Amino acid sequence: MNYKNINKVALVAILLIAFGLPLVIRSATYLHILVLLFFYAYLTTSWNLVGGFAGVLPLGHAAFVGIGAYTSTILFLQYGISPWIGMLVGGVLATIAGILIGLPTFKMRGAYFALATIAFAEGFRVIVENIDYIGPFKINGPRGLQIPPLDIGLANFMFASKEPYYYIILIMLVAVVVLTYVISRSKLGYYLNAGGEEPEAAMALGVNVARAKLIAMAMSSFLTAMAGTFYAQFTLYIHPKSIISLDLSFEIAFIALIGGRGSIAGPILGALLLRPVGDFSRIYFGDTLPGMHLIIFGLVLILVMHYQPRGLQEPLTRLYNNLIRRITHNTTGR
Amino acid sequence: MQILRRIVVPALAISLIAGSYATGHAENVKIGNIIPLSGPSATLGQQGKAAREMAVEEINAAGGIKSLGGAKFELVFADSESKPEKGVAEAERLINTEKVNVLTGCWNSAVTYPTTAVAERYGIPFVVPVSVSDKITDQGFKTVFRIAAKDSWWTRDQFAFLKDMEKEFGTKVERLAFVYENGDWGKGFAGQWKKLAEAGGYKVVLDEPYPSTATDLSPVVQKIRRAKPDVLLLVSNAADAILLTNTLADYKVKLKAIIASGGGHADPSFLKTTGKNAQYLFDIVEWETDVNKPGAKEANDKYKAKYGQNLTGEAVDAYVAMYVLKDALERAASLDPEKIREALAATNLSSGPGMIVGYDSVKFDKTGQNENASLVMVQVNDTGKGLERITIWPKSARRAGYTPVFPMPNK
Repeated sequence: MNYKNINKVALVAILLIAFGLPLVIRSATYLHILVLLFFYAYLTTSWNLVGGFAGVLPLGHAAFVGIGAYTSTILFLQYGISPWIGMLVGGVLATIAGILIGLPTFKMRGAYFALATIAFAEGFRVIVENIDYIGPFKINGPRGLQIPPLDIGLANFMFASKEPYYYIILIMLVAVVVLTYVISRSKLGYYLNAGGEEPEAAMALGVNVARAKLIAMAMSSFLTAMAGTFYAQFTLYIHPKSIISLDLSFEIAFIALIGGRGSIAGPILGALLLRPVGDFSRIYFGDTLPGMHLIIFGLVLILVMHYQPRGLQEPLTRLYNNLIRRITHNTTGR
Repeated sequence: MQILRRIVVPALAISLIAGSYATGHAENVKIGNIIPLSGPSATLGQQGKAAREMAVEEINAAGGIKSLGGAKFELVFADSESKPEKGVAEAERLINTEKVNVLTGCWNSAVTYPTTAVAERYGIPFVVPVSVSDKITDQGFKTVFRIAAKDSWWTRDQFAFLKDMEKEFGTKVERLAFVYENGDWGKGFAGQWKKLAEAGGYKVVLDEPYPSTATDLSPVVQKIRRAKPDVLLLVSNAADAILLTNTLADYKVKLKAIIASGGGHADPSFLKTTGKNAQYLFDIVEWETDVNKPGAKEANDKYKAKYGQNLTGEAVDAYVAMYVLKDALERAASLDPEKIREALAATNLSSGPGMIVGYDSVKFDKTGQNENASLVMVQVNDTGKGLERITIWPKSARRAGYTPVFPMPNK
């Protein structure tokens, strides 16, 4: 067995485990935690197209989640349009929004870009909180929208158990990871990488950095909006403070920073570490030591940032490669 | 050694398992509570936790649930952080993993909607001590029971109070101004005020939402002054209630009355930081420490000694919720969720320890709303013992010997 084969076997094993997990884990609680884990891994992978490959730090992706969630929910509640279609409509609207934000802001550097995206997302939240109707569309201001769980079924994107949600978000995650992989090996991926690290040098070589970033932003906002629809259908209730909040934007960035920005495995590793830390410390300390889970969360963040500034992805990849080298060495030696 | 390992250890293990099973089954009623223990509403969540603990301590000390062989209440708390998806996750966990018999919570209406939907799906009874949004009991759920008054009742009573005052003091009120925090709560109130003002023949001269996080409210106060209202109606959280009251005094805005909606105006810190500026303010609340009910003063004294502050309306709802559950379990004589639900639906709790609310009995209508929940209006004034909150309305509940001040004299 050589290196490539082992990689393939490992990948298939991980996929089998991921798809088989609901057969072993019957508890709705743990499935709920896993669904949210995949949801964040998906969001962060989508974010990574801009935040990782394009080398900027967008901190306003919650706005796209909001656009996706509100679009599909309004279409479903007012016109009975299936959320699956609403998901795509939301994606298109978010893409337009993403390009409109990207055009003026991609010229900004470092912190200024981050601040501009925060300002956009917060502005969007304040607008949604303060209006009840946009034309004929009922937004319901700060009270949010509730989807009555009446017509359960695949067409309405609504299920009584957690398993269907689990598989939907898992498939979405796998798809977005494959997409990221393809992009990272494409011309666009190289352009983004070059533009992110040395924009002047890349431009001097004739790379249209701004255009590459805009394309990445368009894709990222489309994919992020799809997650918004998923969230709306999963909790069946959305309101501005939960779905367009800075907390959500920051959590995406934290997961990426912990896992490793700009790598394919980074967002998944980050979600695998941070989500359980958050969930289990809340479960065990939420009662006796309120707020403790937030301290633990912060502590993990500080430790990783201090000792592994490029994210956990780097040492873990090294560990994995060493392990494989040892295995292949042993088998050939025998 | 072999014998020890083969027989004694398994025997011990079995007895341990059996023992825990027996005690776990016959003795405890597990109550899951989903409240904001951290995050923006943490102080309110902590009050709710303290009130529940005090009630459960009393219930357990008095022998627990007699019809269940002296079963004790066991509280399990979960933190919602005021976030809907965390509330849902915790409800799933409490039901599936902790195997709670009943749920209570969640204070934030935004957390209560989706969380009660989870409980409804599993058929677990859900007692909502306080979350005022009307929608919670309008969802058609069978397992939801709310102790507190819903927000349409708060606004209804504010206008009924205003009419009564106009009659009692012969002062005509025409122009109203609405100023409220721009969240779920404030907007819900303002929507109903508009309808009530129209029905009551009042003229609305100002309708102004503002963000609770504002650090300067003088533009809002300027607008109030220019609109020249007779009466100002407010919905505010803690910091903005203080800021508004002090700014209104700075600008010497002349009004016949200010009617607030609890929340920030009922917060223990409010009177400390506004002092004289808050004099003559009217505030609608569910409960006041001077309520004329046996046991109320004792409960408040005990709470104050333990936790360092007076009971608030919201804490009282949480406290009463535990006694409502005790009463229902006593009648259900079973831990079957459906039996508990039926017993809760048939609740008519009028006396006994814990019934320290201002109204006569806790009784749920078909939607699960406590149909007797009522509100009282208080006035902030000084009767020689410093500024305090004095119950004035309904007239039957008015503190003996006190005459409300209306309209407000010019300071």
